[in-house]
Order: sequence, then C-alpha cells, then structure tokens
Amino acid sequence: MAQLSVPNPERAPFKPGTTGRQRLSEWMANVGIGWLFLIPSLLFFIGWQILPIVRVAWFSLLDYRPIQASRPVTFIGLDNYAQALSDPLLHQGIWRALVFTAFFVPGMIIFPMFLAVLIDRVTHPKVAAFYRIILLIPAMIPGPLIFLLWKWMYDGYIGPINYILTDVTGWFTIQTQPQWMSNQLVIPALTIMEWWWGLGYHTMFFLAGLATVPRDLFDASRVDGANEWKMFWTVTFWRLLPVTLVLVVLRFGTAMAVIDEYLIMGGFLRDRPTYTWTVYMWDTAFQGVQDRGYGSAIGWVGTFFMLVVVAILFRLFRPRD
Amino acid sequence: MATMESVSEFSAPVSSVFVTPKRSRIKWGTVARHIVLVIFALIILLPLFWVILLSVKSLPDAYQNDIWPKTFDWTHYGFSLTKIPTLPQNYMNSVVVTLGTVVVATVLAVLAGYVMVFFNLRGMPVVFAALVASMFFPTRVTAVIAIFETQKDLGLLNVPAGLIFPYVALSLAISIFVMRGMFQTIPRELFDAARIDGAGPVRTLLGIMLPMVKNGVVVVIIINFVAAWGEYLLAKTLNTNQSAQTLPVVLATATGGMGAWVWPRLAAVYIMAITPGLIIFAFAQRWYIKGLQEGALKA
Repeated sequence: MAQLSVPNPERAPFKPGTTGRQRLSEWMANVGIGWLFLIPSLLFFIGWQILPIVRVAWFSLLDYRPIQASRPVTFIGLDNYAQALSDPLLHQGIWRALVFTAFFVPGMIIFPMFLAVLIDRVTHPKVAAFYRIILLIPAMIPGPLIFLLWKWMYDGYIGPINYILTDVTGWFTIQTQPQWMSNQLVIPALTIMEWWWGLGYHTMFFLAGLATVPRDLFDASRVDGANEWKMFWTVTFWRLLPVTLVLVVLRFGTAMAVIDEYLIMGGFLRDRPTYTWTVYMWDTAFQGVQDRGYGSAIGWVGTFFMLVVVAILFRLFRPRD
Repeated sequence: MATMESVSEFSAPVSSVFVTPKRSRIKWGTVARHIVLVIFALIILLPLFWVILLSVKSLPDAYQNDIWPKTFDWTHYGFSLTKIPTLPQNYMNSVVVTLGTVVVATVLAVLAGYVMVFFNLRGMPVVFAALVASMFFPTRVTAVIAIFETQKDLGLLNVPAGLIFPYVALSLAISIFVMRGMFQTIPRELFDAARIDGAGPVRTLLGIMLPMVKNGVVVVIIINFVAAWGEYLLAKTLNTNQSAQTLPVVLATATGGMGAWVWPRLAAVYIMAITPGLIIFAFAQRWYIKGLQEGALKA
C-alpha cells in the first residue's frame, strides 16, 4: 500500500520504457484534460471581458463616429483624453458619482452589521432561518427590477410613500409633498432604495463573519459585566473589521460605476445629479452624434479614477500585523 | 459552564448575586430584538405587498391610492399577456437568455473550479490573477461601447440569445471562484484515491465530487439567474427592437398610466417578472444559504 504514489506531472520523470502513447495518455490525464476543461471559460473570458476592455481603450484613441459615414475613422492619439480631462461635465460627473458613493456606502455597512448582530443572537434555529429568508428576498430580485419598483413607489400619483405622507399622516399636501425624483431629492431617494436592496445580502456577509467569532468571547465579556453596547465595540466590531473593510472597498467600486439606476430613474438632463460619468459616457457614445471615441475616453477616465481610489483604499485597509 | 468558571476567577464573586435580575433584563432585550427584526422584515416585505395589491386593483381603485383595493380585478394578468403586443415574445426572450446563461455559466464554472483546485497547470497563476482583477473592473459599464461593437461585428445586435455571450463572461469570475471555494473543501486525498482506483478526471468530477459541491452549484445558478434575468444596460444597448428586448427593458420603457400600460397591468407584468426568481429561491433557499455559508462568501 505504501508503495502507491500519485504521478506528479511537474516533477516525476516518465518511467523508462514507456511508449509515446502511454506518455500521451498520462499527459492527457494530468494536463490535457485540465486545459480542455478550462478553455471554454477562457474563450468567454477573453472574448467578452478582456477583448472589450482592450477595444474600448483602442477606441478612445480614435476619432470614431460610425453614424457619420462620411467621417473617416482616424487615429488621434490622446486628443480625446486631453479634451476629457478639461471637460467640466466629466469633472462634475465624477464628483456626482462620489457624492452618491458617500451616501451609498455607509448605509450598506451600518444597517447590515446591526441586523447581523441581532440575527446572530436569535437562538431558535427556525426563527433565525425565517429572518434570513425574508432578508434575502430582495437579493433574488434583479437590480433593475428593484429600481423600477422604487421608481413607482416614489411616484407622486400612484406611489404609496407620498400617499402615506399626505393622505394617511397629513404631514404634507399634494402641493407640498416631496418630489422624490427632483434634483434635490433624487440622490437620497436612490440611496434609500440601494440600502433596501443590499440589506439582506450584506447581512449574510456579516453573519458569515460573526459565525467565526468564538461564543466564549461573548460569554466572557458578559460575565465581566459588559453591556451589549460595550460588547459590540470591544469584541464584535473588531472581529467584523476585516469583512467590513472588504465590503467598503467592493461597494465603493460598485457605487462609483453605477449606471442602470441612473438610466432608469435619472434620465439624460445634464443638470441632474444622476448625470454622472457613466451616464455621460453612454449618452456620448449612443445618442446624438454617437461619438464612440470620446465616449470611450470618458469611460476610461472615470474608471481610472475609480480604480486609483480603490487601490488607495486597499493599501489603507491592508491587514497589518 | 467551563467558560463561566474559568472567567469567574477574574471577576468579582459578587457578580453571581446579579444573575437573577440580569436574566429578566436579557428577556426584555430579546423582545426588543425581535421587534426590531420584525420591523426590518416588514420594511422588506411591504413594497412587495404593495405591488402585488396594485396588480389586482380595479382600474378606478388604482387611481384612488388606497393601499387595499375596494374591488379586486384579476384580469390584468391575462390582459397584459394577450393584449400587450410583443410581451409574450419579451418574456420568452428573457427565458431564453437566462436559461442559456445559467446553463453555460454553471458548466464552465464547475469545470474551471475543478481544474483550479485539483490540477497543477503551468499557466494557472496568470489565469487566476486575470480573473481576480476582472472582479474589480467594471467591464459591463466601461466596455459597453466595445461589447456593442463586438456584438455588431458578430451580427448579434437585436438577437436576444446573443446576450448570452457577454452575460456568461461578466459573471464568470465570481462563478468560478464560488466553485473553486467549494472544491477546496474537498480533501485532495479523495481526488488522488479516485485516480488510484482508476477513475478518470471526468468520472471523479461527475460521480464523486459533483454531489459534494451541489450547494455551490445552487449558488452559481442563482447568481447567474439574477444577473441575467434582470440585466438592463447591455440589454437596452444591444437590443433596440422591441420584439428583441428582454422584460426589464420593456418594463422600464413602459410609462405607467399610458394606453395598454395602465398601472395595474404594469404591476401585473412586474409580478410575473419577479415570480420566477422567488420560486427558484423558495425551492433552493436551503442549499443557497448553506452554499453561501460553506465557502461562497469567502470567495
């Protein structure tokens, strides 16, 4: 039994006297099958992930407006970037994305963390499972369908939110009721919607983090007389910090590059707070003169800015010993 | 009990006097906790109840705003499916695109995750790094212009099934990492033992390992279902003919209160759009939540 060993493709030399066919079948079992299994994934990944990224970088160096057939596609170097970097609308677009992100991220962390701590204490397994299932329901509804639901909920005629604020509570009248999709309120309105959507999913991350905390730690600090509040700040918070930091970085990246909710709820008016760099990019490339070259440059500048901040956050939050 | 004793050495023995009042305080805490949790559960559920009720309101009720309808009208579902042009087609488009994406992505992710854990391929570090990097890059947004051009070159604009290609690619990295995380929970000895017994890599995967990673497969199916079923940006950009569009795009274009799209009908279509996901979740939630806990969230 002890003699049995598994052939290692990297190191074990072929036994002398093996025929080419045996070698081939051995190579097939160790290496060939592996690549065979991997190649389909690589085809999709290269074709619709890497190639588009490279291509959009190439477009950003071109004067490229396909609907103007008479206009030749010409290589113009970094001209699009020169224009983009001095384009006030792009600066504003990046700033607007940052504003949305500043609203978006804290609620995506704080509420799920709070909820996870509460659910983690529920000892009855069936009840705990029940809460988890309810919380995960929004995660089963695709984002754009959530955005539609909330767009209707915020509606001034049909929406239940203003119905409650006017007819039920009498806090507002039809004239004074909040216009949720107005320039002043659209960002808070979008943020509340995002929090609702992300609540359950992010709670699951924190619950997974809490599951790794030894129960003794809680018992010990409780015996020491710590109340819930103190226990959170002395034990739980620090144990959840790694999960929290990962989520902050991930959600920062998500929030900076959001587009679907702006297209569904924001529209294309340039003074809207939802007219961020992503909407500007889409608007430039697919509407009006369809300037795909300049649109690509806008996309790259916005993405580059986002990636730089994500990299900085990663450095700041890297685990220290 | 062991911890109680070991810790009590460090705390004053007087603390045991307070055990009784503490217990009653904890019970109040439990009540308060459940009240807060129920409020959160209601916040999640109420918007969904509202849209369900809207979908069965009679037309006059729909413009009365009362949350509970005076008269129920169940015809909106049938009406929207039969009378709104292209809607059945749009629904079919969504089904085809989503099924295609889920099947292809799941098969690819299982194969790739298996190879990443049990095979020692030379180029693997490069593939791994590229997949990780892609998860931080907003390809769907940044590269939407190039994805459009690629699909145009392939003649896939306004072909609903054409969306399968970018959809599979865009959630491939996360799907592979979920499966990789699941395969990592399987001891390597099992793979080696199967090989010694003469099982080839395909039989090891299908016969032995697949049942062990089924929770991860459920997670991958759900991730891809949600991503494909609701994707908006690419669906809107690539398919501009109404008959080639998927449900979310049609719903987003429909302005409530106009013509065939009166509010209750819009709500009825909405319910039909979110129901498949909720049904899948109802059936698969046990494995889904287990899968999330077993390793998917660590990916």
